Amino acid sequence: MESSDEVAVHKHRIHLRTATLRDAAPVTLHLLPCEVPVNQPAPVGRFFTPAIRLPPPGLEVSFRGRKLRGEEVSVPPGLVGYVMVMEDKHDFSEGSENNEEQGEQELVESPEALERDFDCFIGATASFSRFTLWGLETIPGPDAKVRGALTWPSLAAAIHAQVPED
Amino acid sequence: MDLSELERDNTGRCRLNSPVPAVCLKQPCALGVDEAGRGPVLGPMVYAICYCPLSRLADLEALKVADSKTLSESERDRLFARMKEDGDFVGWALDVLSPNLISTSMLGRVKYNLNSLSHDTAAGLVQYALDQGVKVAQVFVDTVGMPETYQQRLQQRFPGIEVTVKAKADSLYPVVSAASICAKVARDQAVKNWKFVEKLQDSDTDYGSGYPNDPKTKAWLRRHVEPVFGFPQFVRFSWRTAQSILEKEAEDVVWDDSVAEDQEGVGRITAYFDEGLRSRTRLPHRVCSRKPGRHSLLHTWAACCESCGTAVLPAVRCRRKHHYAGHDSIAVLEAESPRSGCQRGGVL
Repeated sequence: MESSDEVAVHKHRIHLRTATLRDAAPVTLHLLPCEVPVNQPAPVGRFFTPAIRLPPPGLEVSFRGRKLRGEEVSVPPGLVGYVMVMEDKHDFSEGSENNEEQGEQELVESPEALERDFDCFIGATASFSRFTLWGLETIPGPDAKVRGALTWPSLAAAIHAQVPED
Repeated sequence: MDLSELERDNTGRCRLNSPVPAVCLKQPCALGVDEAGRGPVLGPMVYAICYCPLSRLADLEALKVADSKTLSESERDRLFARMKEDGDFVGWALDVLSPNLISTSMLGRVKYNLNSLSHDTAAGLVQYALDQGVKVAQVFVDTVGMPETYQQRLQQRFPGIEVTVKAKADSLYPVVSAASICAKVARDQAVKNWKFVEKLQDSDTDYGSGYPNDPKTKAWLRRHVEPVFGFPQFVRFSWRTAQSILEKEAEDVVWDDSVAEDQEGVGRITAYFDEGLRSRTRLPHRVCSRKPGRHSLLHTWAACCESCGTAVLPAVRCRRKHHYAGHDSIAVLEAESPRSGCQRGGVL
């Protein structure tokens, strides 16, 4: 991301490919306490998984020469985790093959015409019910931010639940 | 030498020892400490002790033990076998520190440098001999770092023992020579039989001596760069040679505690919002913990980001002395940073 003086805040309208949710196969996930600013496949099964050790009370591994300690985190009951991928920008020109496919999707948004750089499509490539959360040298524990995020659905449900009028 | 315990798990450390000769439990002994594999970018570092009664030092000397570096591999193997035969008066123990242990120590949140790791391992082995009942009277150590401070440290830890720390102790004292042979034999064997934790596609062991200046070693490192994971754990990630290859040939990795020099600029605070959902980057800002008055860059600012020198407003003073907290609510405004030359913004 280069900084520039021209700053435009882009808005997006996101469409979910609902069909992908049904076919998403379960996957093993690791959430690392660092950023790798690229998006590409990595040989997790050859380099990372075999190096995991189980000294109590948690898991231990190293990544790039740094020690990580981890624990399993479950997705809250009633919810499913999905690995979502944003599709590349579409060619929204008239009569493209996309139109046919879009017909199958239930577009939650109003049936306005799709616009380039405005409408985005996301779909699931995998699903999960648990993942391994890693911290740098310490087990992330109950205060980990991602745990806070996972409590949000139940909190949101409580906020929006109907309250008796008396 | 039976290194099967190391071969089962070579991600940590592993201790091996000979039986303690009965005579060493009764008679005052001399104990030598030396290491092998301190410099290489590949493989473990091995610390070894060797001890024998003062009365039998002449017999140990008669084996013609010498500094392991002056001996060939077969001479070392032969001498190690001789020491085994003389197990009635010579004992040894060693500690194999895996390259993974070395990397994670040196690259820890709190850095544990190789000298400290070496000193503590050496002291741990002397303690181990004492715990086994060896009557240690004298300790001879080949120095790591300044001999004076190292000697002082060991002498404080073992007040009842006469400690001598010297450069080139491995060629001056036979017990140290013997320890250096044990260490070198173990290191060579560990490297030769190294079981890679990773499932590598080929078994390419043409890595030369393992020393950073060996062209074969460098070429091996280049061949084994994995863009995301870096290297197999056989490599000491903390070595300059390994790091500079990764800087050029692998993907960047940004940790929460990385310092400014390791990161590239991200841009304006508004850049945070205009890249869409896919490319949002969390900024690893850290609030400077120095006193505001001492801060060289931004006297008038209350606090600044430690990573990039960006001014932080408003500063929220932590209850602890001289620290700033409230990271979640602090907005980072833009500021020029003469120190790092970067111009960045974001939200802490």
